[in-house]
Amino acid sequence: MRQPADELSIVGKSLIKPDAFSKVSGQTKFADDLALPRMIYGRILRSPHPHARILRVDTSRARAHPGVLAVLTGDDLPIKFGILPVSQDEEALAKEKVRYVGDPIAAVAATDEWIADEALDLIDVQFQELPPVMSIEQAIAGAGEPIHGTSNVHKTVALEFGDTDEALRAAAHVREDAVFFEGSTHLPMEQHAAVAQVAADGKLTLWTSSQTPHYVHRALGKVLEMPMSRIRVIATPNGGGFGGKSDIFAHELVAAKLALVTGRPVKITLTREEVFYAHRGRHPVLMKVKTGFRKDGRITAMQFQSFLDGGGYGSYGVASTYYTGALQATTYAIPRYRFEAVRFFTNKPPCGPKRGHGTPQPRFALETHLDKVAEELGIDPVELRRRNLPKPDSRTVNWLRITSIGLEECINKVVEGSGFLKRRTSMPAGRGLGFAVSCYLSGAGTAIYWNEMPHSEVQLKLDRNGGVSLLCGAIDIGQGSDHILAAIVAEVLGVSLEDIQLTTADTDLTPIDLGSYSSRVTFMAGNAAKAAAEKVRDRLFEVAAKALQCDPDELIARDHRVVRRNRPADGMDFAQAVQLAEAQDGLVTGTGSYTPPKLAGPYKGSGVGPSPAYSYSAAVVEVDCDSRTGEVRVPEVWIAHDIGRAINPMLVIGQVEGSVYMALGEALMEEQSFRLGLHKFPSLLEYKSPTALETPIMHTYLVETIDREGPFGAKEAGQGPLLPVIPAVANAIYNALGVRIDEVPITPDKVLKAMNDRSKRVGPKSVPAFDFPPLINADVPDEWKGK
Amino acid sequence: MEVLLPHSLEEALAIKGERPEATPIAGGTDLMVDLNFGRLRPAAMIDLSRVAELASWQQEDGHVFLGAGLTYATIVKEMPEFKPLVQASRSVGSPQIRNRGTVGGNLGTASPAGDALPVLAAYDADVVLRSRARGERSLAWHAFLTGPKKTAIAPDELIIGTRWRRLRGPGSFSKIGTRNAMVISVAGLCLVVDEENGAVKVALGSVGPTILRATEAEQQIAAAMTSSGAWQDSSITITEQVIDEFGSLVAAAAKPLDDVRGTAAYRRHGCRVLARRALIWALNERRLPAWL
Ligand SMILES: Cc1cc2nc3c(=O)[nH]c(=O)nc-3n(C[C@H](O)[C@H](O)[C@H](O)COP(=O)(O)OP(=O)(O)OC[C@H]3O[C@@H](n4cnc5c(N)ncnc54)[C@H](O)[C@@H]3O)c2cc1C
Repeated sequence: MRQPADELSIVGKSLIKPDAFSKVSGQTKFADDLALPRMIYGRILRSPHPHARILRVDTSRARAHPGVLAVLTGDDLPIKFGILPVSQDEEALAKEKVRYVGDPIAAVAATDEWIADEALDLIDVQFQELPPVMSIEQAIAGAGEPIHGTSNVHKTVALEFGDTDEALRAAAHVREDAVFFEGSTHLPMEQHAAVAQVAADGKLTLWTSSQTPHYVHRALGKVLEMPMSRIRVIATPNGGGFGGKSDIFAHELVAAKLALVTGRPVKITLTREEVFYAHRGRHPVLMKVKTGFRKDGRITAMQFQSFLDGGGYGSYGVASTYYTGALQATTYAIPRYRFEAVRFFTNKPPCGPKRGHGTPQPRFALETHLDKVAEELGIDPVELRRRNLPKPDSRTVNWLRITSIGLEECINKVVEGSGFLKRRTSMPAGRGLGFAVSCYLSGAGTAIYWNEMPHSEVQLKLDRNGGVSLLCGAIDIGQGSDHILAAIVAEVLGVSLEDIQLTTADTDLTPIDLGSYSSRVTFMAGNAAKAAAEKVRDRLFEVAAKALQCDPDELIARDHRVVRRNRPADGMDFAQAVQLAEAQDGLVTGTGSYTPPKLAGPYKGSGVGPSPAYSYSAAVVEVDCDSRTGEVRVPEVWIAHDIGRAINPMLVIGQVEGSVYMALGEALMEEQSFRLGLHKFPSLLEYKSPTALETPIMHTYLVETIDREGPFGAKEAGQGPLLPVIPAVANAIYNALGVRIDEVPITPDKVLKAMNDRSKRVGPKSVPAFDFPPLINADVPDEWKGK
Repeated sequence: MEVLLPHSLEEALAIKGERPEATPIAGGTDLMVDLNFGRLRPAAMIDLSRVAELASWQQEDGHVFLGAGLTYATIVKEMPEFKPLVQASRSVGSPQIRNRGTVGGNLGTASPAGDALPVLAAYDADVVLRSRARGERSLAWHAFLTGPKKTAIAPDELIIGTRWRRLRGPGSFSKIGTRNAMVISVAGLCLVVDEENGAVKVALGSVGPTILRATEAEQQIAAAMTSSGAWQDSSITITEQVIDEFGSLVAAAAKPLDDVRGTAAYRRHGCRVLARRALIWALNERRLPAWL
């Protein structure tokens, strides 16, 4: 039952989120703030080599160091793990081989961090260095010992939906482009930290700054060989995640093991330098896109290839690989589609999910490609997009089911707001406007490990005095998930936000939520919260209706009252209703669960990409370029986001603005780059990301499409708005200077190089030759047959 | 580690005389980084932040004296008429760094990327050193800065400050970096015009082992201004060709290296652009009416 917006009293309002005051006043306890009696400190010895065999680890001098209580090596934690069931390739402490500078080798627990650090220096490791693989080209060349197994190829994908070759042959216009997107890291303000404690009865508790406490729980059970019931994982508020805290990290397993070995609480906080090496951030991706068009600009077919530089381990890489090809067809109506991808192991910190997971790179490729095509076809870039919009309530050629689409309205907002069409052709020297659009998922439709159970669960318990206890496994990583849960429950029950007591992300107390990743929490935990709240509300209405001698359908819950809709004086306090229900049959509780609909298509690999709903964004970016220094400034950005429904518009705007900011960093300066295996600048001073001074004026437009699958119609906000900004910057630079920088980040030296080059371009010439496996020819959905 | 807390310059010099191995610490914005990364483990440190004599500046008989303990924030607040110095100070780090960091520390570190240093070099400043045993001495900036992170200071000396002859004429400091704050220069340049002596001085930072002066460029532009009569008549235009040549000579004076912050080629190019701009600003400023 969909309620019209004007009946809502909390949903849709820009209220202050429950954790705001404790955050801004410094009272929030992050993992590193925890201090337990008798706590000791762990530190990890990491590989100084990008690729080496470990011949010997001698810890005797470290063990003898005063103040040292335990030393661990790979022998103490031999069981492999990994976030994906198909990639169980990591060891908490490497035993035989190290695969990137920073790979953990041994660990020490000592009475303070300095002593632990000194002890690390006393561990003698003998290495046999191996030639490192530092790039996609080297990985393909395959000289030297493979990083894992028999080849540096980690994962390949080769899918075809309809005959793309034929469709390209028949196209009026075909264009091919190659682009490169450099890797970057998440750069959360809070470094990763974990505290482990073992109770007298042997039960282990781990507090950790994690986006995925449930997956950490599973990995601890596996690696420590303990039943999960003997382990409790509590996720502490994350001081920023962005995907960087959604993996299983060595320090979490090591802290737990050190606590088990010493019997004392152990804290490990990574240094900023370690965070750069722990990484799991944006994959560097080399891409080729080839698209056919009719004369009128409509797409006939697309072939997309991506080459991912994965780093030393699998991490989320298999999913990342699929994501580089998944969302092309949800953004544009593409009748025939071929997607080939390969992920390589290299001797660099492992890549994984960063805001937009695997989709900003192809988005950059696609949106700069379309900008070039628009020019060739003599169609304006906005119109070219309009001619290729997907249809709501449809299936893409690669079987993704789309519900609501607010893309056209997003386009209208930014184009009008910025005056794009008129101003673009008359910009002053060095100024330019660029346009791009995008699409993202509202939660992955499949779980990370195969199971039939819900992805999110919420439990409610009502107090006699009208308070509501809300339990959910979701962890607030700053995005405001606590607020969303409370707002939805408060809305349904007609109470206020302050009445909701939240207990979250504690595996002993809270039901499952899979984690704060893939923009899933508002959508999935929100749906679960709504279902739970409706259940208890219905129970209260039942008893209240009896007492008021009316039909339950006549009742509404508002302003802490349960009243008859048409005779509001006729009713009772919310607390009274709870008391009636409790008197009748005991404690009033309710649970809600959300399982996404089964959406996978009939082909292998169809599990990555389906989502119950997709968000859409459009952006116009204005640049101000210095043609002599090559510097690019961004004075103004217009961005519109199809949020479905903004449960809290202020929080949505915060996510959109944060995405714009992060995108500008990736577009113009951030890069995770290496020299001799070492990160070039693992510090906040030298790893350049924008400051407040670089942050532009942002005009944010929220477009509401009230999606039928989302809670109150909501879709996602945390990742999608990042996507269009990066290509829009590149397109704006072309508009300003007439140069194409087909390579992210767009640094001043690249701009100058392009201006001085006859091609007026910097970027890869092509992609390397690589034998993809034979294409799997998937069936296309009926609606695309014969098109 | 011992931390010694002198309350006067005399006390500080006495400590330094007795304990020459003790490391002075002013704002700590360079030293604490080294301590945190374990690159430095001094047995003792002398905290200069309580030494009031170091934290002042004066003007006397046409000279300016800037105490070693003056922070960038104080310079920005109290010395607006020294525009290039203020511009350099404002470009250092972030508000927190500017509240702590001092020019004495910038000299003590002697990094080629120290942003105050090209300004001191363009002013032809002397560095004033003092020890208890031998008293005070002054070294020209280039005699003090002997190499990357190397200075001519003696173990028992402290930097008292820096002194230069006050110049009449426009000038500026500008730098290139990836962002507008918290950025170590990829290239930095200070240009000052000395109207009395008919000279233009250009110093470069971050593009060589130490701060560099572009002397050929200085002579070229001064000569061009002399021959065109621009020194007397500021409305006379300096040709585009002269400005270009000036830019090329400044770029040629740079001795840049590739590093993580930028390539040598981009740095050299940056010097050319900064030089042209700084010169054009200065020439335009010379044309402004005196009452402005
Ligand atoms: C985040 C960050 C950003 C920064 N950004 C910039 C920037 O943009 N530009 C820039 O130029 N620098 C920058 N720096 C470096 C630093 O702030 C400056 O070099 C500053 O001038 C150092 O001054 P201080 O007083 O903090 O020096 P300290 O760290 O206290 O000392 C530095 C050195 O000078 C010596 N020293 C200090 N005072 C004396 C004295 N009176 N006599 C003898 N020796 C002395 C010390 O022994 C030490 O060797 C940055 C540093 C950080 C941490």
